Amino acid sequence: MRDYLLIYVNGRRYQVSGAQGFQSLSDFLRYDLGLVGTKVVCAEGDCGSCTVLVGRIGLPNSEGDSKLNYQSINSCIQYLYQLDCAHIITVEALKNKEQIHPIQQAMVDAMGSQCGYCTPGFVMSLAAMQEKEEVMTRKSVQDGLTGNLCRCTGYEQIIDAALNLDAKPVPSVTENFDEKTILSDFAVYLTQAVFCEFEENWNGVARKLKYFVPVSLAEAVSFQQKNDNVTVVAGGTDISVQINKERIEPDCIMSLVHLSELKSIFVDEQFVTVGARVSWSELGKFCQKNLPQLAEIIAIFASPQIKNCGTLAGNIANASPIADSLPFLYVIEAEVELTSPDGVRWLEINQFYQGYKKLAMNPDELITSIRWQMQDPDDLLKLYKVSKRKDLDISTFTAGIYIKMNNNKIQISRLAYGGVGPVVLRLPETEQFLYNKALTLETFLQAGKIAREEIQPISDVRSSADYRLQLAENILMKFYYECCKHQVKKA
Amino acid sequence: MKVVGKHIPHDSAVGHVTGEALFVDDLPSAKDELIVDFIASPVAHGKIIRFNFEELSQLDGIAGIFTHADLPGHNLFGPVIQDERFLAEDIVEYVGQPIAVIAGESRKAVRQAKKQLQLEIEELAPVFTIDEALAAKQFIGEARELKKGDFEKVWNEAEHKIAGTFLCNGQEQFYLESQAALAWRGENGEILVHSSSQNPTEIQEVVAEALGLGFHEVVCVCKRMGGGFGGKETQAVIPAVMAALVAAKTGRSARVAYTKDDDMRSTGKRHPYKIYYKAGFTGAGKITGVKFDIYSNGGAAADLSTAILERTLLHSDNSYFIPNLVFRAMICKTNFPPNTAFRGFGGPQGMANIENVLQEISIVLKKDALEVRRLNCYGHNDQNVTPYGQIVQNHMLPEIIDQLAETSSYKKRLTEVAEFNRKSVTHLRGLALTPLKFGISFTTSFLNQGNALVNVYKDGTVQVSTGGTEMGQGLNTKIRQLVAEEFAISYDDVRIMITSTEKNNNTSPTAASAGTDLNGMAAVNACQKIRRNLTEFASRYFSAPENGIVPSIEHIHFEAGSVYDDRLPENKLTFRKLVLQAYMGQVSLGERGFYKTPGVNLNRETGKGNPFFYFTSGAAVSEVLIDRFTGQLKLERSDILMDIGESINPGIDRGQIIGGFIQGVGWVTNEDLRYSDKGQLLSYSPTTYKIPNIQDLPDIFNLETLENPQHKINIRRSKAVGEPPLMLCLSVWMAVKHALSSVRNDITPRLNLPATAEEILQRLTELNGDLSNPETTAVRATESEVSLVSLPSISG
Ligand SMILES: Cc1cc2nc3c(=O)[nH]c(=O)nc-3n(C[C@H](O)[C@H](O)[C@H](O)COP(=O)(O)OP(=O)(O)OC[C@H]3O[C@@H](n4cnc5c(N)ncnc54)[C@H](O)[C@@H]3O)c2cc1C
Ligand code: FES
Ligand code: FES
Repeated sequence: MRDYLLIYVNGRRYQVSGAQGFQSLSDFLRYDLGLVGTKVVCAEGDCGSCTVLVGRIGLPNSEGDSKLNYQSINSCIQYLYQLDCAHIITVEALKNKEQIHPIQQAMVDAMGSQCGYCTPGFVMSLAAMQEKEEVMTRKSVQDGLTGNLCRCTGYEQIIDAALNLDAKPVPSVTENFDEKTILSDFAVYLTQAVFCEFEENWNGVARKLKYFVPVSLAEAVSFQQKNDNVTVVAGGTDISVQINKERIEPDCIMSLVHLSELKSIFVDEQFVTVGARVSWSELGKFCQKNLPQLAEIIAIFASPQIKNCGTLAGNIANASPIADSLPFLYVIEAEVELTSPDGVRWLEINQFYQGYKKLAMNPDELITSIRWQMQDPDDLLKLYKVSKRKDLDISTFTAGIYIKMNNNKIQISRLAYGGVGPVVLRLPETEQFLYNKALTLETFLQAGKIAREEIQPISDVRSSADYRLQLAENILMKFYYECCKHQVKKA
Repeated sequence: MKVVGKHIPHDSAVGHVTGEALFVDDLPSAKDELIVDFIASPVAHGKIIRFNFEELSQLDGIAGIFTHADLPGHNLFGPVIQDERFLAEDIVEYVGQPIAVIAGESRKAVRQAKKQLQLEIEELAPVFTIDEALAAKQFIGEARELKKGDFEKVWNEAEHKIAGTFLCNGQEQFYLESQAALAWRGENGEILVHSSSQNPTEIQEVVAEALGLGFHEVVCVCKRMGGGFGGKETQAVIPAVMAALVAAKTGRSARVAYTKDDDMRSTGKRHPYKIYYKAGFTGAGKITGVKFDIYSNGGAAADLSTAILERTLLHSDNSYFIPNLVFRAMICKTNFPPNTAFRGFGGPQGMANIENVLQEISIVLKKDALEVRRLNCYGHNDQNVTPYGQIVQNHMLPEIIDQLAETSSYKKRLTEVAEFNRKSVTHLRGLALTPLKFGISFTTSFLNQGNALVNVYKDGTVQVSTGGTEMGQGLNTKIRQLVAEEFAISYDDVRIMITSTEKNNNTSPTAASAGTDLNGMAAVNACQKIRRNLTEFASRYFSAPENGIVPSIEHIHFEAGSVYDDRLPENKLTFRKLVLQAYMGQVSLGERGFYKTPGVNLNRETGKGNPFFYFTSGAAVSEVLIDRFTGQLKLERSDILMDIGESINPGIDRGQIIGGFIQGVGWVTNEDLRYSDKGQLLSYSPTTYKIPNIQDLPDIFNLETLENPQHKINIRRSKAVGEPPLMLCLSVWMAVKHALSSVRNDITPRLNLPATAEEILQRLTELNGDLSNPETTAVRATESEVSLVSLPSISG
């Protein structure tokens, strides 16, 4: 066990403990290290100005060598306890001697900056694309830069910069560092859990805080049993925002960053099983081949930076009625694996939510994986996300529709709507209505009217209740035109 | 070695991409620095009863809490009407209004102390919408009117008529760098403020007044802003005063940097408008007369609202000739943060309104909207007088429209769109071409002046300082180019120095798109003075009376880094050597330049005059795709054609056009300010306030500029390009209206601005339903220009 975090920034080694580890990476960079090239605008993961690269040890290759895999992250919502044994690269480190990096030169030449405030973030996102060896096309650049907002340029010249870049071989931004040393350092320390405890005094009131970074599931489960009020942090993309905005003040954190046991996706004859530490980026890649409907939703989910960190498990545990994974999980009747010191149990997702942010889960339980049955390719499955802006936006309304046919009649239908109540809802009356009906426009027109009656959405910052009601009705027609009309013709 | 007209990267581009370009909050902290924050009103209108500031100031790590009573000078300010308080006294007038300034040793100390705040406010009845303000008779400034011809007569005789209500919501500037300031107290109580401000002179003056100092005791500097867009023209003042007050009171350096959330919640935005319109027109679609009753939602104080409203009046014609008209305009006082400048400055709302009128005329007459627009467009020899009497000269509006229609295959695509809409049950398309004409100059005529300081050093390099501020628009790059060109030296030998009131006094804000026009001209004027000195010196230096070459300035040339007498060209000196010789010859190598725009004026009594030096113009055509079930919008293609004169830097101007257009697209589509029914902004950060993302660009995006041989004035025959392109976005808004108008042909669809998916779906649902239904009509009548949401309490 260690009582400090080990973090490299731009090739320099830092041991961080106590209160210093309990802060966001962007604060550490800007205030402690004076690396002010990294900007903070929103402190909630939505603008990308704070983008940096994080390198972590990946799986060894065929020769048994490991290397650091670099990804973009939002430094404002990654706290240092999530970054143990990670190498951070910031915009300051891209220069080689006095020579600016080709990515930077491309941005200069294409006039990719105006006021320059967003620019370091864009440069780092482009660097992340380079690390992933992505081929630059207009589409891939848009996808790679979805997490970066710019108010000045209108983006075209940034796209130009990226497209010009592809023509030239670009050295990896990691070439400026001695990775061997970092890797061997990490290899030693990665086997040790980290535990830090400290006290804060303010106006005579003392507050005890601690954070724990286990390296095995067993350690994690036992820590949860022994401590009250443990705040579990997976990707931190929900929880760190809550902390930054002072909506919560956790004093006992457990970071799951090192639980490599939970990092895989298993597929067997019956189930797809997704580990609780699988990031949205990894799940997205998997779905592209195996589950295009979910892949479509993941494509417009948040941003690369968020998807590199955030997890499906976190999305489920966060229990938002507009969590994008839930309509899918509801209609596919997925199961959540809960692990506690007493063992493991599986809970069907439709039983998981008991009210607004209320989970059927005990405080000493941890979500360890999520699984669902492989679907029959003839079944109809469609997922919808309606948001104000198509990309990097939280949903106004979501829907999952699943239909199994038998003899040209609907045998099973499952409908789940999000954003229309305190939890994601199944629509039993509409489902019942659909039973044994043919796939006709009339069926879905009527179903829409029934669906509308089953929900009582509210008005909020994202939309009025009326809009949500109308969507609840219309989405079934949209489904008819997109999936069924074509299906009927085929039959 | 021509520098002007070249595609030269932004002056600070290398600093931007390396992170070395510093913004206010990036500046190093002094050892004794205090962190400054403020206590904001949680209610929209109320009377302050009690607070525990005294108690807070005793908490660990808190250096002090300051209220209006601590201001040594006065607490009132305002760029036009002095009606705004730095710190609330007994009444608060909007949510987010600063009540007190808190200074602490660390961010954490300040945050924790703020949690201990007890603030009791007795709530008073608030006023949020224009309708509520009209009912309560709450206004700011005087009513304005612009008249021409006899509207009533043509209205009574009109062949066709339309009447309706135009509604638009506001828009957040959303500069990425939030408001920030850093202040130091120097010797003798002098104050130095680093401010992220478009208007350092105003910061200097207002800080001095608030602290009871002379203007000469305050210096304001601004290296750069991380975006301004108008939001830092006046509103940078409050944070600057906060920091300066703390520095003055404690003698320690003081730093304030708003969080994005606080920034959005407490600062003003683009004004929401409500305009009642009436238009009479012929069967061909020619406007015979219009009447616009214009109301803007000014928020709680005047700020720049009166000037903004003036620009609305002067742009309610956009590019169209209107023979008879009445424009009446009024600012409503409401309980929101004082609304302020934002790229376009009242122009966009006025232009959106008339574009909507023209679209409706075409719908009523079942004509192509482009034909109607073209018919009413300003001409060259007739049909060229604006409502305020200025003649639209040397313009290319009809040519722009025709050329763009041609290059974008407008006609062909219009047919395809109609065909698509007939066939598709799932989607709708819309297509629209809208022109723009934007007047350049401050309509407050005296502001049209600028000064500059140019210093030539002994090695032949040059430093330039102007009153203009750099916010990304490329002002510094252009001035560097202009100065290098004047001396015929390389761009690298010229540097633009930090903007400081110490070097340039009594400057106008960097606004009204006139930054380069005014400051560039002033810099060139200074260069010319130095050049005159140098020319005179050179003429003596190169003279050779023994060979009959007497000193003559006519024969001196500056070319490619050298200076020579064309009678003895082989004797040429490098600029650098000449400068050194001139220095030793005791010649002045530093000068101040000054410029004022000639011939601009506006008589506010009669509403007539020539308020603009020239017009920047252009047009855009956009095509949109709408999902009939969700109302979601996709911008598929935009083509833009602009007349921006001879560009000083085409790369920078291209960036201004694209950036402005996309910013406008945000305003007309997804940027949706929503408030609770208590006046709290709910969409106060990028999670809920959605500016355009890189995915929102049109798939096909073409941008061209055209030559305008008639444009012969202004600096190097260029034209201002900062604000105008924003209004190209109206092509997108009108394309939505066009799409809606194809749903049924017996009704003119309404469309509010922004056209969010929700707005579009609501209109579609309305159109698909029964419009004669009195219920839907009633809903419309109560619609408001700001979105107020009554929030049910979320529980369980
Ligand atoms: C900019 C931005 C955009 C976003 N966009 C979207 C979007 O488009 N759609 C969407 O649905 N969401 C979105 N989110 C929300 C968030 O990214 C997702 O909910 C994500 O899946 C959360 O995963 P995480 O691992 O980061 O969770 P964390 O923040 O680490 O945790 C979230 C919650 O889950 C708990 N938790 C995490 N893992 C476990 C576990 N294994 N066992 C028990 N409890 C656990 C935590 O204690 C916490 O309460 C966005 C967030 C941001 C900041
Ligand atoms: S500061 Fe906006 S994403 Fe981090
Ligand atoms: S360059 Fe200003 S925000 Fe991107």
